[in-house]
Amino acid sequence: MGLSRRDFLKSSIAASTAATVGMPLAKQAEAAVQATEKGWQWDKSVCRFCGTGCGIMVATKDGRIVATKGDPDAPVNRGLNCVKGYFNGKIIYGEDRLTQPLLRMTDGKFDKKGKFTPISWEQALDIMEEKIRWALKEKGPTGISIFGSGQYTIHEGYAAAKLMKAGFRSNNIDPNARHCMASAVVGFMQTFGIDEPQGNYDDIEHTDTAILWGANMAEMHPILWSRITNRRLTHKNMKVVNLSVYGNMSSDIADLEIIFAPSGDLAIQNYIAREIIKRDAVDHDFVKKHTVFATGPYDIGYGFRPKNVEKFASAAEMEIYKNEQEHVIDKWEAIAQRKKEGEVVKQANAATPMKDWAISFEDFKAAVEPYTLDFVAQVAKGDPDEPMEQFKAKLQQLADFYCDRNRKIVSYWTMGFNQHQRGSWVNEQCYMNHLLTGRQCQPGNGAFSLTGQPSACGTAREVGTFAHRLPADMVVMNPKHRAIAEKIWKLPAGTINPQMGSHFVKIMRDLEDGQILFNWTQVNNPWQNTANVNHWIKAAREMNNFIVVADAYPGVSAKVADLILPAAMINEKWGAYGNAERRTQVWRQQVMPPGQARPDLWMMLELSKRFKLKDVWGAQPVPGLKEGLPDVLPAAQAMGYSPESTLYEVLFATPENKKVKWPDPIAKGHPNITADLLKDGWFPEKALFEEYRQFGTGHGHDLAPFDVYHDDKVRGLKWPVVQKDGKWVETPWRNNEQYDPYVQQGLGFDFYGNNGQALVMGDLDKPGDPAKKVDISHKAKIYFRPYASPVEKPDANYDMWLCTGRVLEHWHSGTMTRRVPELHRAVPAAVCWINQKDAEAKGLKRNDLVWVESRRGKVKVRLETGGRNRVPRGLVYVPWFDEGVLINKVTLDATCPLSKETDYKKCTVKVYKA
Amino acid sequence: MNLSGILVVAHPEWQGQVVETLNALEGVEVHQVDEETGRIIAVQEAPDIHAEIEGLKRIKAVSHVIMAEMVYHYLADDKQAYEAMPPELEEQQDGFDACVVPAYLNS
Repeated sequence: MGLSRRDFLKSSIAASTAATVGMPLAKQAEAAVQATEKGWQWDKSVCRFCGTGCGIMVATKDGRIVATKGDPDAPVNRGLNCVKGYFNGKIIYGEDRLTQPLLRMTDGKFDKKGKFTPISWEQALDIMEEKIRWALKEKGPTGISIFGSGQYTIHEGYAAAKLMKAGFRSNNIDPNARHCMASAVVGFMQTFGIDEPQGNYDDIEHTDTAILWGANMAEMHPILWSRITNRRLTHKNMKVVNLSVYGNMSSDIADLEIIFAPSGDLAIQNYIAREIIKRDAVDHDFVKKHTVFATGPYDIGYGFRPKNVEKFASAAEMEIYKNEQEHVIDKWEAIAQRKKEGEVVKQANAATPMKDWAISFEDFKAAVEPYTLDFVAQVAKGDPDEPMEQFKAKLQQLADFYCDRNRKIVSYWTMGFNQHQRGSWVNEQCYMNHLLTGRQCQPGNGAFSLTGQPSACGTAREVGTFAHRLPADMVVMNPKHRAIAEKIWKLPAGTINPQMGSHFVKIMRDLEDGQILFNWTQVNNPWQNTANVNHWIKAAREMNNFIVVADAYPGVSAKVADLILPAAMINEKWGAYGNAERRTQVWRQQVMPPGQARPDLWMMLELSKRFKLKDVWGAQPVPGLKEGLPDVLPAAQAMGYSPESTLYEVLFATPENKKVKWPDPIAKGHPNITADLLKDGWFPEKALFEEYRQFGTGHGHDLAPFDVYHDDKVRGLKWPVVQKDGKWVETPWRNNEQYDPYVQQGLGFDFYGNNGQALVMGDLDKPGDPAKKVDISHKAKIYFRPYASPVEKPDANYDMWLCTGRVLEHWHSGTMTRRVPELHRAVPAAVCWINQKDAEAKGLKRNDLVWVESRRGKVKVRLETGGRNRVPRGLVYVPWFDEGVLINKVTLDATCPLSKETDYKKCTVKVYKA
Repeated sequence: MNLSGILVVAHPEWQGQVVETLNALEGVEVHQVDEETGRIIAVQEAPDIHAEIEGLKRIKAVSHVIMAEMVYHYLADDKQAYEAMPPELEEQQDGFDACVVPAYLNS
């Protein structure tokens, strides 16, 4: 490339950058841009990666993506992009893109031990049909399963949930969002009775304090972090607090860095509550009008297999698993839970951890009383080299912020809270302190749960691709909710299975013990992302089952599969995502997928053509359901269906949906591969979105019509989106009368999610008279939740904590980002961060190859003593993006018993030279 | 080689000095300046993404810089990643026999 060409390019890039951030352009620069971008077509899109939901602009020319830039009109990122976002255009062009269905075969036939061999889509659908029929015949609806995703488009998630729940009558669909968001969901549902944050990202520009609870935003949410940094530098009262188990990039601009011990956050929250009460910083008016105090059982186990675990576990694993039945109270728990050290507690509520009841403010006060500064500092101090007095002073300063009535506070968290053996509790504790001080649902004030995936909110949660959920916060266990879904879906009463399906980890366990025979993995990488993965790899490869993995690139899960389906990626299909601030955003298809790669939506619609009502709507056996599922075929016939109707006709290409025609002018000439391949003239993404909208309309989950989001001027809308004077208006802060149309006039704040609910009154240990109930309509719950120690703690043999997580350059399991040469080169392999002193004490040094070994497995990895993470003595950090360092062989499959979300942040290991 | 467009915001009273410092950094050129808001548009050239990220950190570390973030990325230069795939893919459009099974999967 000649020098002049390069100079020309540079001035063009400068001009585009200036235009993006709204700076006026010189005439000359404009000409340069026009020449460089000749023939480019720009269109709005959304970032493929984290839950921030940045808007990006994508340029295409001759069927290829040629450039991307931050969308200047996107309120989330205002033209900026982080390193990953920056490569949205490149992730689809990796060299090892999957472009053909591949089946394990020997001599032209399926063979579980065979080699992957290219087959046609027709053959792929044939074998899937055969294996689903086999699994249904052997086990009924619970014999099949889907691993879904927080990266599903809204349309894909909706189709998957409907296919499973309405078609196959199986609730065994659960997304990888179980691994990242489930504890946040329980926190929302238990506290407010409705899912997702009340505030939005603009809180950053309104607040005085950002408190990060185990969220390394500088690396994981860089664009929000740049907004926080900007606020920190331009607003003189602004303070930033970083609470973490190790020092990281977010500490760089923090005013206060608090390094706490694993699970110490539970104690710190209660210390803050105690201080708020002691110093009378309680907002009594808010608390009285808008909240009710509550608690629940402590003996809830750790989310391990409830029984027969010894059939599958080694003796070493049993040392930890036995806590599921009985747990010995340690010295900290004795104080925190008002028990005796050494007391053996039967985990009587392991199956009923969600139980809760109301308590008095006096009881609440008594419960937090043991959480004194001295006690909490001893439990929670995470850096053995930090002086105790310094740590105490930091805790006091944190409490000072909460007790300052004039200070606005926003709390942020992601995996540090959610991936936690008491993840639901610690979410609820965060609301506890915000509600006690009246700091929720106002600009600059609120506890705000961030998300890690682009549509964890929009798809996994709002559509409800979980084992227990239906769209719009409804659940399969509730007969009224099933009736609503059956009405919208035009199903006979009794079609939907009333029994909760298997959550993510349980699907793995069900594969291991042969209860599930068929699995379809979509838009995620379960055999890399699930803890204690040695068990699950063995189950997939050695049990008699059939695993289908749809993916764009061959990751660990594809390698484990029996059949691989090549999937289309983000701009190769139409889509919609919902970000962490309730913003629903859409994009058009920009380019065609390579080879035979197809959208997941197309795969599901094609498969649904192969099953008839008579195959699935007759009486079905379901373990645990005495009567099984009823035969609904007669009722279906009365509704006008034929037993010969296909699931495609009944669930998807319905008469209503077929009225939504493709092509559609909203496409502005863009293609739609799904519609074009189906060739029956309807627009599946639009039709399914309009059908899905019916679930949320009228009760606080309202979405605008499909075309409104596709308007060139719209950059996503925050639900509930309600029509006002002919316009579709979003809701910036929920539950606040000033902003939320659903708030009852005159209440000021209204936690309407709990309307119609009641709690039994009790004391700290148990619920009282079931006849005496407290109405909690319009109110949020302030929970007391105690400190509980991690179930696996360092000992003489496994002497170090292991924490896992991500790095800036890679996203999740690296299936996409490792295909971008620049990102791969920047961080090619995972390393193990260790404190210099620990390394020295073990006779190790930087770059040494070591084994990191737990009771469950081991990996070989290089040691790092410097760099961006500063781990305290006693703790190592290994990111999980690298399949060459499959750290989930080492991690523990303990989950929060309420949310069933795995704790990837604490287990114990030994580190020694390889 | 990577080319990126970067937005830098400096305290307006120090903008001149910041521009001078930026121009002295290897691979960095200031192209546009808005004196009122302190905004500066710089273009950075770096051999790879690692150098690019390091380069951005270097810009953030310049005295009186309030923020610096990447805005624009030019993609067409990475021939290796960008052009290796299409010919194979075109073949596959017609017949699936042409597909190469990644060696990794059967290893």
